[in-house]
Amino acid sequence: MSHSDTIPLHASSQSDIDEIENLINASVQSAPATVLPARPPSPPRIPVSSSPFIQSNLPPLPPSAQKPSSVPSVPAAPPPPPGNSHSNIGVSGFGSPPNTLTEPVWDTVKRDLSRIVSNLKLVVFPNPYREDPGKALRDWDLWGPFFFIVFLGLTLSWSASVKKSEVFAVAFALLAAGAVILTLNVLLLGGHIIFFQSLSLLGYCLFPLDVGALICMLKDNVIVKVVVVCVTLFWSSWAAYPFMSSAVNPRRKALALYPVFLMYVSVGFLIIAID
Amino acid sequence: MQTFPPNNNGEGSSRGYQTLGSPPEGFEQQPPNNWKGVFSVSSYTQYFNVDTDIVINRMMSSFYPIGGDFFSKIDANPDLYGLIWISTTLVFVLASLGNCATYLIQKRADSSASWSFDVGYVNVAACAIYGYAIVVPLAFYFLLQYLGTNASLVRFWCMWGYSLFIFILSSFLLVIPVEVLRWIIILAAGIDSACFVAVNLKSCVEGNDLTIVVFAAFFLQLALAIFIKAWFFP
Repeated sequence: MSHSDTIPLHASSQSDIDEIENLINASVQSAPATVLPARPPSPPRIPVSSSPFIQSNLPPLPPSAQKPSSVPSVPAAPPPPPGNSHSNIGVSGFGSPPNTLTEPVWDTVKRDLSRIVSNLKLVVFPNPYREDPGKALRDWDLWGPFFFIVFLGLTLSWSASVKKSEVFAVAFALLAAGAVILTLNVLLLGGHIIFFQSLSLLGYCLFPLDVGALICMLKDNVIVKVVVVCVTLFWSSWAAYPFMSSAVNPRRKALALYPVFLMYVSVGFLIIAID
Repeated sequence: MQTFPPNNNGEGSSRGYQTLGSPPEGFEQQPPNNWKGVFSVSSYTQYFNVDTDIVINRMMSSFYPIGGDFFSKIDANPDLYGLIWISTTLVFVLASLGNCATYLIQKRADSSASWSFDVGYVNVAACAIYGYAIVVPLAFYFLLQYLGTNASLVRFWCMWGYSLFIFILSSFLLVIPVEVLRWIIILAAGIDSACFVAVNLKSCVEGNDLTIVVFAAFFLQLALAIFIKAWFFP
């Protein structure tokens, strides 16, 4: 997971709870109530920062004068800056992390999408300046693999003329169970990988096969299909090779790599054969 | 002799190592005692403690029906890697090449017929091969235990797993759409594999008069070969 999201539980949960309480109070009172964090003292709050925060979630309140909050103040924790709005993410005077609970949905989606794209670039595309091809992803996530597996299943299902749902089921089960079994295989051979990181990487390496399946769906000629599948198969294997081979003892490299190759060949065969 | 399998990967990290608290001296029949529960991966690593060259060596030795020394080869270090991945490869090969073979035969007979990929082949192949590879050694293990011999289930699984390797290679040859040739190939492969199983089983139960068991193993393997031919490459 991204390191920027690891926040000290204590402060952030406290600030979140405060904010939610304030929002509830503000909506209940439906008066020009303030939305103050429950810490009236110390930080000289900037009025302009709290109102954009409010605007995104409630009907706009007049940026009234701030009076001490009626919410019972909670002790201990260092005071978080007021209403950490999305507009000043990371630019809070006290170094506390951005508030991802209350940001707009589009921001969350955009952040996840950009993470998927950057992981894809790291894993799949040839990059001679990659610092260490064997090093696993630092910011692994499971959204990317999920999208790729479902997309491949859907593409195969669309291409099939009979038994469409069975084809989707076989493809999805093969890929999902296959990723788990491949990871277990490496662990059983005495290798060192983290389970979910490996699932994530194997999912990202499916991207070339996704592209291949899409091309095969659009162009129905057998020769073209065979060529496209061979090229994308080679690309997928090339992407998965450094990670898998560096995870085990070099004398067992082939034992760890062969099942990966087997899975990609079987998926490639499924792509060619479905018409 | 039972050697305590040291995990000599050369890396000094904790994952994959057996516990240091286990007794290093192995008695004659005592299994290595590093079972940490059903759900811990490290309890199963002892069955995957093989290198690439060892696996290839065992696969090559499954071609030779006469010899009977497979059990002595795997005695110290039986592995389940061969069983799992050879049977998985065989399932995939049967499903895919079976479809190819029906496609070729249809093309030969009637070049305008439409053919669609039959996903049902995968189901049948998986049930048949996995069922055979898991249940048959289990049955023989219980039978031999009942009849008094001291048998080891893991070694039986290992041997039966490697005995399936020849069917992978013969499946590639079975795509040739000539019926007579197909029967010759499958019978040759079946007899080779069945002899391998029978001779090694005999070496395992030596001393007792259990030839009927050995014959049963031979015929079961041959029946598997004929089933492969009849269902996937008709």
